[in-house]
Amino acid sequence: MIRLPGLGIVRGMLFTFRKMFEPKVTVQYPEVIQDISPKHRGRLLLLYDEWGALKCETCFQCAQACPIECIDMGGVDTRNRFHVHWGPAEQYAERREESAPRRAGRVVPDATFRAWDPIDITGVERVLAEVDYDPAKMVTILERTQDAYGFLPVAALQHISHSTGAWYSEIYGIASFYDHLRLEPASTRTVGVCRCATCVVQGAGRIREALEEALRTELGGTSPDGRVRLDGIDCQGESHPFVTLDGRLQPDMTAERATALAAELRGPVPHGRPA
Amino acid sequence: MAIIKGPAEWRSVLLARAGAYDPDGSLAEAERAGAWVTWRKTAPTQSPASIIRSVSTADLRGRGGAGYPTGRKWQTVAAQGSDRRYVVANGYEADPGAQLDRTLMETDPHLVLEGLALAAFAVGARESFIAVKATYTTAVRRLRAAIRSAEEAGYIGQDALGAGFDLHIELRELQGAFVLGEETALLRSIEGKRPQPDQRPPYPAERGLWDKPTVVNNVETLAAVPWIVANGGEAYAKLGMNGQAGTTLVQLGGTVNRAGVAEVPMGIPLRDLLRGVAGGEPRGRLKALFIGGPSGGFLPPEALDTQLTPGSLSEMGAIMGSGSILALDGTTCLVDLATLMTRFMGDEACGKTIPCRIGTRRLYEIGERYITGRTRPTDQQLMADLCSDIRDGALCGHEISATNPLLSGMRYFRDEFDAHILRGECPAGVCRPLPPVAAQTPAAAPVSPRA
Repeated sequence: MIRLPGLGIVRGMLFTFRKMFEPKVTVQYPEVIQDISPKHRGRLLLLYDEWGALKCETCFQCAQACPIECIDMGGVDTRNRFHVHWGPAEQYAERREESAPRRAGRVVPDATFRAWDPIDITGVERVLAEVDYDPAKMVTILERTQDAYGFLPVAALQHISHSTGAWYSEIYGIASFYDHLRLEPASTRTVGVCRCATCVVQGAGRIREALEEALRTELGGTSPDGRVRLDGIDCQGESHPFVTLDGRLQPDMTAERATALAAELRGPVPHGRPA
Repeated sequence: MAIIKGPAEWRSVLLARAGAYDPDGSLAEAERAGAWVTWRKTAPTQSPASIIRSVSTADLRGRGGAGYPTGRKWQTVAAQGSDRRYVVANGYEADPGAQLDRTLMETDPHLVLEGLALAAFAVGARESFIAVKATYTTAVRRLRAAIRSAEEAGYIGQDALGAGFDLHIELRELQGAFVLGEETALLRSIEGKRPQPDQRPPYPAERGLWDKPTVVNNVETLAAVPWIVANGGEAYAKLGMNGQAGTTLVQLGGTVNRAGVAEVPMGIPLRDLLRGVAGGEPRGRLKALFIGGPSGGFLPPEALDTQLTPGSLSEMGAIMGSGSILALDGTTCLVDLATLMTRFMGDEACGKTIPCRIGTRRLYEIGERYITGRTRPTDQQLMADLCSDIRDGALCGHEISATNPLLSGMRYFRDEFDAHILRGECPAGVCRPLPPVAAQTPAAAPVSPRA
């Protein structure tokens, strides 16, 4: 190829002029409907409510209905935030891991994304062998996987999907449905509050609000530092309100004591960092 | 939970053997107390159709809350031309405060299994499931032991009783969601899918577990079956009061003198129920009865003549629900309780239908505005509209009953709601609503704290 100054621009303009004199194609859209590929699904969009919060509840019904599995998502509900990721979840995490150090100039640790870290799959492989790779026993598989890892890492869910043939969306749909299955790394302490009518009469509602406020999480979530998990539990025994710490009954609980307990569990907040 | 014995004239069917044998002990001991006697006598001699007939004569109704006639359900399943049928015993007690099924399964696991075996025999199911809450470790352990010993004795399992049919019972431990108590959600969970309720019809009796005809009965319903088969349907029908059949379990709590689980005749007026098992009038001045668990309704003291049946309770705005009856006195704020119960139901919404998922949350937010005194002028109308829309758009019983606490509260305790809304006072002294600002225009009213 000859290298002449200005040849590149001539080539480019030639292409432009050729296109200029070609017949124009304008589809009069509402009257004429163009043939589109049967696989084409248009652009997927999530709706926002009037306050700008995502309406998507990651119920996975769209992903389960999609015949070609083009919809997949991941939702995380820690830090009182609701993330909805488009595309395969691990791809999202990769993208984030690439861009975050580039912008910050260093690796940014974020507990929210620990669930996407690679794992040692021998644990989940043993669980799968125990139930003979039967996708009908998915709840058992997930419960035992959680026993093995302390929570349900996304890599384990992917591995279960590959090994059993069940769709990832189905597995995620089950994992995110049950309160006892956790997608975030396990916390060290667990506070349980009963929500039955008897306990609410005795002030469990206020205790729950105090705990949510002090732990900065909602019921079923983990505090932002990952130390304390707040669970809804079943009433047992005769003591109301029924509040437990790591399964042990905390008698005579009040909202004030709950706040103090939460503060004690979270420990000192490091100076200069948002709580 | 303590078991309360009723007056001597109330026949006990479900808790008759409670304490008569050690549930952790051997099968022989349970048999001396009368377990499996009916099954051994009837299964080889009676036809499945005759068992269904006695259950129909007994007018046994589902004790899970809805009160559908059990005989008719079994008839439907037995009439389906399918190679497989299933029976599912629903021992998943969703209400976090209720322990009726737990008490039943812990004190007499063999009774539940015998009822399940009779049901499976009656509809021709080879495989049956019993779903139990995983947190009920004692009940799970005793039921597992009971299943194993019954299999070893040959009562169930391959070629049960030597009569040429198979009857396998599998125990499933479930946990982690309130909505699992709903029958279609329970079936999805047993299938290993995301347990969201399905549209009905087709009912599980036609297309249930793995699209096969399935009987889903509460364990309490099934536990009544051995007695019915042994003593005949007419005898069981006579156990109830006011034209209702049989007995049911209730759990008493709150300001009653005796708290615990009791077996009472169906159709009994609430006044007689309190007199019979709760140790008379509750302590202090009775303000309301909260009946049916988190999605139940409030009844005022004037409604104490209401009969304990699903029909008459729902007419009054409450439900049978989990069977829990909570007596409340003047120290309880009903607005607060109703709001928090609605919040519970909203939290536990599975997310399949929008009226349920979003509607219950909005309902709870309206209730929260009542509590905090930040009521908007449109809130009462909005709440009424929302409740009727939620009920109209309902997929399962969850959202229908989720509106009960606020609706029944508004119906009978209007004064207390008005005190919060109009004057910013809480008569019970539980919540601290802000006094309304007289000059406040609707546009300047503070928006919801969640905005």
